[in-house]
Amino acid sequence: MAEKLSWTELRRALASRAGVSEKSAGAFLNSFNAQLIEALKTEKQVKVNGLGTFKLQAVAARKSVNVKTGEEITIPGYNKIVFASEAGVKELVESNGEGRMANGERPMEKGEGIENDPLKKLGVQAAEIVDILGELGQSPNTEANGERLEAKGEEPVVEPEPVVEPEPVVEIEPVVEPVVEPVAEPVKEEPQPEEPKKKKKHHFWRDTLICVVCLLIVLVIAFFFFRSEISSWIKSFVEENKTEIVVPAEEQETPVTVTEEVTETPEVVQEPEVVIEPQVEPETAVEPDLSRYKGLIKTEEITEGSRLAWIAKKYYGDQAYWPYLYDANKDRIDNPSKITIGTPIRVPKLTKAQKDTTTVEFLELKRIAEEAIR
Amino acid sequence: MLTKELIGLIGNETGLSKKDTEQLLATMTAILRENLMAGKTIQLQGIGTLEVKERKERVIVHPKTGNRTVSPSKKQIAFKPVANMKDHLKKI
Repeated sequence: MAEKLSWTELRRALASRAGVSEKSAGAFLNSFNAQLIEALKTEKQVKVNGLGTFKLQAVAARKSVNVKTGEEITIPGYNKIVFASEAGVKELVESNGEGRMANGERPMEKGEGIENDPLKKLGVQAAEIVDILGELGQSPNTEANGERLEAKGEEPVVEPEPVVEPEPVVEIEPVVEPVVEPVAEPVKEEPQPEEPKKKKKHHFWRDTLICVVCLLIVLVIAFFFFRSEISSWIKSFVEENKTEIVVPAEEQETPVTVTEEVTETPEVVQEPEVVIEPQVEPETAVEPDLSRYKGLIKTEEITEGSRLAWIAKKYYGDQAYWPYLYDANKDRIDNPSKITIGTPIRVPKLTKAQKDTTTVEFLELKRIAEEAIR
Repeated sequence: MLTKELIGLIGNETGLSKKDTEQLLATMTAILRENLMAGKTIQLQGIGTLEVKERKERVIVHPKTGNRTVSPSKKQIAFKPVANMKDHLKKI
């Protein structure tokens, strides 16, 4: 480990391997060094194929305290040199030497840890399903299922419009909600005694429940996907013939839902989130000023654990640019630190001038964005 | 800066042809890689040293799920710039 390859040794090895004189090999190496430093100065990043990348990384100035006197001091920003080895090289180094034995064993443990995770989750899910089934076991409404499936099959036929799949559910959900609550309560109050008798029906119930849950989840996802289209469509549709559609849907659904919509209690809780058309519609009204951007890179949905800074880092390479994201999505974001999961975020293209974080324009945007947090 | 540009610059300075420079650079990186694989520390005069460092295994916690797993020990190539160059590049 402690062995060193000195400059002279490197020169010699290079000369013999490449078949050139030691002098020219030395000249080459010196030139390499000099150019590397020059290039770091001008370009901040130098890639050397077969080895890795040298980077000049800026460290921002920060505040600190003089330990002796307690005075506040500012540690000025500086640049540091960072080296990142090329992917293949790293593996080469990794695969070689004594470290291998220990490595061979360890990943197993790691793998186990990772496998445990989904298992746990499945266990939790199973427990939840069993709980739900326990509640359901008391309401004798297996027939209702068949009816429900029929009803589902009929819906697309009833609706003559082209946007077939997601919309019938969207239309019906508001109808479902009021019906569910009164029904759900009495069922919960009738407790366990009937449970053992219904054991056989459990299997059937579990299957149908899972089917229904899956179907709903798919529909909800589909709804999120085509939300903008659907909302605009619904808007026009509802205005045209509100009464026509809603009434027949109600007539069809009510007899069925009374008996079996209980199954959907977990889903129904989510549905208020889904039906946020009033929130979505104002989008078109208060369109943010996108004219300053060249265009959009893409639209990215906020997922759990993601933030504007994180998206900025992903697309622009620096999290400092997050105020642009806020600016481009003012209509969808009230508070940049509390964004609803699933919100689509427009990621605008930035010009070179916009990437300068010292301009008045950027600072103004940043101020507005930071105010929005408060 | 990409390797191509670097090769162009070195060629300009030393008067070597592009092909020769390319070959020399490839040979040099090959030598460096072999030595790194052998666990040697490499001194690049005026720039710094490249060495293989062993990172010990450690327990990592998944921030979302809170799962604890063992991150295996691994080897990394570390670069340590020469003090002179470090100071030189600090302020640009």
